[in-house]
Amino acid sequence: MTARAERIRASDQRPALWRRVLGSEHLAGWAFVTPAVVLIAVFFLIPIGWALLLSFQANNLLAPGHYIGLANYRALAKDPQFRSAIGHTIVYTVVFVPVSIIGALGLAVALDRRIRGISFYRLAVFVPLVTSTVATGIVFLWLLDPTFGVVNYLLHLVGLPQQKFLQDPNQAIYCIVAMTVWGWLGFDVIVFLAALQSIPQDLLEASEIDGAGKWATFRSVVFPLLGPATLFLVVWSTINALQLFDEIYVTTRGGPLGSTTVIVYYLYEQAFQFFNAGYGAAIAYVLFAAILVVTLLQLWIGRRRVYYVS
Amino acid sequence: MPGVVLDEVRKVFPGGTTAVDQLSLEIDDGEFMILVGPSGCGKTTALRMIAGLEKPSTGTIRIGERVVNDVSPRDRDIAMVFQNYALYPHMTVQRNLAYPLRQQRVAKREISRRVHEVAEMLSLEDLLKRRPAQLSGGQRQRVAMGRALVREPKVFLLDEPLSNLDAKLRVQMRAGLKRLHGRLGITTVYVTHDQVEAMTLGERIAVLSDGRLQQLGPPQEVYDRPANVFVAGFIGSPPMNLLRGSCRGGRVRAGELEIERPGVPDADLIVGLRPESLQLATDGMPSLEFRVDVVEPLGDELIVHGSLAAELVAASGEEPPEATLSGANGAGLEAVARMSPRERPAERSVIRLGIEPADIHLFDARTGVAIR
Amino acid sequence: MAASPTATADRLVLIDAPPDKPRRAWPFSPWHMFLIPVAVIMLAPLVWMLILSLETSSEAQSFPPVVLPSGPHFHNYVTTWNSEPFGNFFLNSAIYSLATVVGNLLFCSLAAYAFARLRFFGRDVLFVVLLATLMVPFQVLLIPTFLIVKHLGLVDSVGGLIMPNLCSAFGIFMLRQFFRTLPIELEEAARIDGTSRLGILFKIVLPLSLPALATLGIIQFMWSWNDFLWPLIIIDTASHAPLQLGLATLQGAHRSHWNLVMAGTVMSQIPMLIVFLFAQRWFIRSIAFTGIKQ
Repeated sequence: MTARAERIRASDQRPALWRRVLGSEHLAGWAFVTPAVVLIAVFFLIPIGWALLLSFQANNLLAPGHYIGLANYRALAKDPQFRSAIGHTIVYTVVFVPVSIIGALGLAVALDRRIRGISFYRLAVFVPLVTSTVATGIVFLWLLDPTFGVVNYLLHLVGLPQQKFLQDPNQAIYCIVAMTVWGWLGFDVIVFLAALQSIPQDLLEASEIDGAGKWATFRSVVFPLLGPATLFLVVWSTINALQLFDEIYVTTRGGPLGSTTVIVYYLYEQAFQFFNAGYGAAIAYVLFAAILVVTLLQLWIGRRRVYYVS
Repeated sequence: MPGVVLDEVRKVFPGGTTAVDQLSLEIDDGEFMILVGPSGCGKTTALRMIAGLEKPSTGTIRIGERVVNDVSPRDRDIAMVFQNYALYPHMTVQRNLAYPLRQQRVAKREISRRVHEVAEMLSLEDLLKRRPAQLSGGQRQRVAMGRALVREPKVFLLDEPLSNLDAKLRVQMRAGLKRLHGRLGITTVYVTHDQVEAMTLGERIAVLSDGRLQQLGPPQEVYDRPANVFVAGFIGSPPMNLLRGSCRGGRVRAGELEIERPGVPDADLIVGLRPESLQLATDGMPSLEFRVDVVEPLGDELIVHGSLAAELVAASGEEPPEATLSGANGAGLEAVARMSPRERPAERSVIRLGIEPADIHLFDARTGVAIR
Repeated sequence: MAASPTATADRLVLIDAPPDKPRRAWPFSPWHMFLIPVAVIMLAPLVWMLILSLETSSEAQSFPPVVLPSGPHFHNYVTTWNSEPFGNFFLNSAIYSLATVVGNLLFCSLAAYAFARLRFFGRDVLFVVLLATLMVPFQVLLIPTFLIVKHLGLVDSVGGLIMPNLCSAFGIFMLRQFFRTLPIELEEAARIDGTSRLGILFKIVLPLSLPALATLGIIQFMWSWNDFLWPLIIIDTASHAPLQLGLATLQGAHRSHWNLVMAGTVMSQIPMLIVFLFAQRWFIRSIAFTGIKQ
């Protein structure tokens, strides 16, 4: 075979360079991810960095700001209102998370059976999940109204004193807990139900034969196997609790007397009502750090005590 | 004193299926009883009723002298090994073994003693600190048995405990189980679909089909004298060849095969010939022509497939086998014989197979019941 | 355990659909004593929402509360619809939700497929960076995103609502997990047959991924439809507002006319409730999926 024929043969087998580049997996990969990467870069990555920069600035959202170093953070450390906001957020979180998880666990156990009407009960528990935070706030604003709300009326019927609820600085935050538990319970219940139903029937039967009653079986077999789901819900609920905003805006606007001003609401006030964008960005970063720390702590504790079934 | 008694037990599920129908069974104290049958025959349901995981629709179940229909599983003093072992995945082997004893509030020292005793008996000592996920199938099986044994129950229930193990392990565990039973002497009810397990393990076997008891007896008796066509076709591997035949005036005919059987009334019959009973015909033996199709050498014997000069029928309830790839002659059913390698039948040759008259089984074609 | 995340979620069919075989006839079980009050508590706010929307303004504020409205005053809905640009609210929400759903399904699929099946320079680093963004709470992004949208000239417009939400790292992560559970042989066979990578994605992978896509679509739809904070920041004009913001505006404007506020609330929740009632299984599976993936 001549050398020329060999060269022709060889080039038949390898496509032209331009075709190889365009057809290469690298190009294809990048082509596929580019839209997503651009969007996420513009609307996530850049803002993450920009927020950090903003936190080192004094900025009023209209004119470009100027750098003031760590002044925002130092101010935050001394800000009594911020400290109150942290306090309120902590109170909310510490009440909301256990109440919603324990309540959801109990509900999930109750809903995990075949009795008549069970699909109705399940539906009733899931429906509030679909309503918006705004709707929840509005409805509870009426339900808890001191003058004409139905809750006070029910208290009246059983002879208990009337409460001020959302208008009472000592009660307002707990009212917020109640309405957000109502709104979110269904989510936790669904997760728990899924976990309960993934426990093999065999294990429950074996436990029964081994002499354990229903409660002993729950304590020794079911609950430990719910570990991963519980951990997930604790982390998820905590993260969400720390970011509470919508319901506050719709109901109390941070009052009465600032008793429901949580961190994100304080951020909103500072950035978009007083136009201290730099201060707001600093608050956001502090919140970010807090969420990160709390989450990692929870995961660390959880990993050591939760058994994952493979 | 009887160990476990089922008296006219019937179980109908809410959907309408009758899983167990008028099952009466007496298991002696300390006996190793096997419930065997194809899937769906009701054996597992029967076992679960003994355990208390299902309630009989009618009939009574007695453990010892006590009627236990309304007694919860906890209080029946039984232990069960599940097909998938049902080991608590979040507990170590040691805690798995200790679990039943802790539920019964046994003293800590006693728990420790019994756990170690059982662990030693089943060679689990090195595994006590491991979790089920870190164990092999055979090890998990032993833990499951250990957890059952640690309670020293009155009745030991096993639901296809060996079916998830590979063949070699299964053989080892079979011997292990037999040894264990010999040593401990606990009344055992063992469910399996594998007739080899049934034959090798059981003191008595109960063959079930469609929720009904087909035959009860020691393995050898069930093999030698099957009570009906179903048992005949189920016990024995490869299964018994079943031929369509008839009896007229004391003379039984099935295809070419002819024997004298005075005393058998005129009727349509099913004639059963076990593959192991078929041999190259010698003079005087009842025999029939056999066209060899496929020869499977097993080393110590040959499994020979082919067609007999007779019409074959399927055992009751069985589907006719799928058409084979070779589509041989369009006929659905083939006959099987077990022969010595020395006899060396050639594929596609025609030979004559004979059988001792005593080895010929006769069944009424209509009822399936054996005729002796 | 099932390999595919949505296969595991498939077992949740048990959650909302009772098994076919008739249950034990427990006409009365002690559990009802617990479940009935719970159901009442969960449904009562919604029932009151409905009742109040049909009362007069003074009935809605009377003590004791009026359970049976005189009337019922269906015209409240008309009044409410006219008092605020509800038509715009619905339209804006619809556009916002649909655009973000389509955007997410499209862009996340493309990216997820690349991360799942293609080898390209920098792939793993890029993926980790994307995942890291999931850790950052929205509040950090809030102010700068506002400034970016301002620079793009999209403040106070539906476009401004949509742009930051067209693609999410969550969607990419979820779809990538799912794609990896599909048997790769199908794609390899198509490749041998000469199909382009884009073709493989659209003709083979996506049709097999409908459960995952539906899950993502529903999650995104629900999120966009109920979104409040971002519209609050971005939108000034009432007629550009999506539904939840519009609802809050209505409440602000007609604070003491509870009947009208409730009518508005009912109207704004009905679409989601209807979708939920008809597509329960998908909803529940989607919600549970976020729990299972952990």
